[in-house]
Amino acid sequence: MRYRSKPRSLFLVFLLLIASVTVYSQDKKYRARVSLEHVKIMNEQSYIGISAKFKGEDGFEPASDLEFNVYRQVNEDSMVVLGKARSNSEGKAKFVLKETMKQSDSSGIYTYTVAIEDSEKFRDTDKSISFSEANLTVDVVTIDSTYHITAVLTDASGNALQGEFLKVGLKRLYGNLTIGEDNNETDENGSILVPVRDAMPGVEGNLTFEVLLKESDAYGTIKATISAPIGRPIEDESTFDERTMWSPPSKTPLYLLIFPNLMILGVWVPLLLLMFNLYRISKS
Amino acid sequence: MSQAYEQLVHDLSPRKFGRKGKIWIAFLVLIIMIGLYSYIQQLRHGLIITDMRDYALWGIYISNFVFFVAISLVGSLITAILRLSGVKWSTPLTRIAEIIAVAAIIMAGLTIIIDMGRPDRMLNLFIHGRLQSPIIWDVIVITTYLFISILLLYYPLLPDFSILKKHFKANTRLSKWYGKLSLNWSGSGKQHSIYNRSIKVLSVMIIPVAFAIHTVTAWLFETTYRPGWDSTNFGPYFIAGAFVAGAGAVVAVMYVLRKTYQLENYITDDHFDKMGKILVLLCLLYLYFNINEYLIPTYKSTEEEAVHLQSLFTGQYAVLFWSAIIGGLVLPVIVLLFPQGRKPLPLFIVAMAVVLGAWWKRYIIVIPTLSHPFLPIQGVPESWRHYSPTWMEWSITFATLAAALLIITLLVRYLPIVPIQETAEERGLIHTAQTNQQS
Repeated sequence: MRYRSKPRSLFLVFLLLIASVTVYSQDKKYRARVSLEHVKIMNEQSYIGISAKFKGEDGFEPASDLEFNVYRQVNEDSMVVLGKARSNSEGKAKFVLKETMKQSDSSGIYTYTVAIEDSEKFRDTDKSISFSEANLTVDVVTIDSTYHITAVLTDASGNALQGEFLKVGLKRLYGNLTIGEDNNETDENGSILVPVRDAMPGVEGNLTFEVLLKESDAYGTIKATISAPIGRPIEDESTFDERTMWSPPSKTPLYLLIFPNLMILGVWVPLLLLMFNLYRISKS
Repeated sequence: MSQAYEQLVHDLSPRKFGRKGKIWIAFLVLIIMIGLYSYIQQLRHGLIITDMRDYALWGIYISNFVFFVAISLVGSLITAILRLSGVKWSTPLTRIAEIIAVAAIIMAGLTIIIDMGRPDRMLNLFIHGRLQSPIIWDVIVITTYLFISILLLYYPLLPDFSILKKHFKANTRLSKWYGKLSLNWSGSGKQHSIYNRSIKVLSVMIIPVAFAIHTVTAWLFETTYRPGWDSTNFGPYFIAGAFVAGAGAVVAVMYVLRKTYQLENYITDDHFDKMGKILVLLCLLYLYFNINEYLIPTYKSTEEEAVHLQSLFTGQYAVLFWSAIIGGLVLPVIVLLFPQGRKPLPLFIVAMAVVLGAWWKRYIIVIPTLSHPFLPIQGVPESWRHYSPTWMEWSITFATLAAALLIITLLVRYLPIVPIQETAEERGLIHTAQTNQQS
């Protein structure tokens, strides 16, 4: 009796284990960690940058191909749906805020909520971001024969914002080259003045500068750019039209056309004469 | 004609293959057919059937090509240099050297085509070829050398064809062919004059062209900036190595032919002794270049060169490297310094070791360098960093070697191995060309 009951018990335990593992695996959803950033590019667009990751088996991984619902907070307990955004392979998504979507509360603060809802892989969660509107203007001025970048940061009402840190960069192919200090604090007029000491190279002398307020708690990220012909024109060093060792056959260097061909003729003309000699032998 | 002359013509005339000859040809054809099968696979699937990848983009095809180019130099060594030096003892060896040179240079050209992933686009090489590229220089110089080698083989054959036309009178078809190939050679003073002048011009011309073919082949390596190839000395180094390989090949072939066709009266022990001495000199010269090529980079031991040299001296390629240097150069020198070592059989064995060493030497010039570039390629699979020829590569390579031997065998079947006219003249059995001219 004892021997007969043991396999049955083991089988039941096994079934129970399988069932519990299956149920557990169905319920297991990851918790996504969402971070939001408000980015405003002056005279272009403003958007909410969404970044999501989760703790997988190999540490933190980007939450790719994940759908987010974006809401605007109307008051404490009501929200308006604005649209959806989907993350890329790096777990990042961008939701562009059209003018019609922008509406602040009575104190001029904008609040948006990004939510993960009904995802098969991730638990429902949401994250909110609040910011105030600010504007950044940038200009190039000449002081004592030296070019300077000047930028003014103001709030939505046009009041100068003092004590914020702006960064000035020159746009290059793979990123920005910092001009002046890493951080330039705005004065009581909300402005900074950064000299451009060296004549940087640019296509036809045009240089594009970017002034950046990076991840401010109150205003988010604000970028403003300006192009000015104050650089050193890049000289065209292309050898495309020249006769070089790396040019196509039609542009072979002359010495490589002349000497090898002379050598080829110097060998092949006697060879042809030797061929002719065979004919002469046959006729002698 | 004297009886001695008749005997000489009889001895030196081409002969039909015996049973061993037919088995030998069947063996070569079998190897060629296996190689042909592999090459058809390569044409269908591309170079993926080889183990060549982004690192070893040149494999045994190119090392085999360099070997063939080296062997072909023998034509200029024996025929041209010794002829211009007024050396008479080399007469029985000239035809063998010329035949080997033609066979080797034909196979060198074919091996390059085999190495092409898309041989159907070969014409583009000529249409879009740039004179800036050493590859085009190689194409030009190989074509020129092939042409000169064929002429240098053909010209001295004219009087022999005329002799064979008469000798094979009974065989109408063969006699007719020899008659056509002799270009109506009658041995007249005018014919002799054109003939002698042409051979002299060819002998002079083939030397710079032969030097050029080896120098340009060396430049193919030298102009790419890689450890082991970054040398200004590669041209002379390749020429010295080619002389060694070529001389070894001549000794090996002359031994086999002498034994097969009982030519002991024409290719004597003295020929072997002299060729042995030449081989010693050439081996010592090549050894000097080898010391030069490896000692200075070892002394400098820049990071990449040190890795490359370590793989040769004590690493992955050490067995091959030391076998080629000691077995293919040092031991032959030691053996050939003794007169007993220059007897036909020992010299044949030494020559085979030299030729085998020469083949592997080209392998270790090409492959290890490609495995250790100055700028390693990032993100390639680990297997791409190592090269080990596939069986299909081996079969194609063996087929090219068999094809070279088949060309030699077929030429030996229809051409006199030892120049008949020249030998007869030297033995005073017929009037010399000069006598003819004066008359």
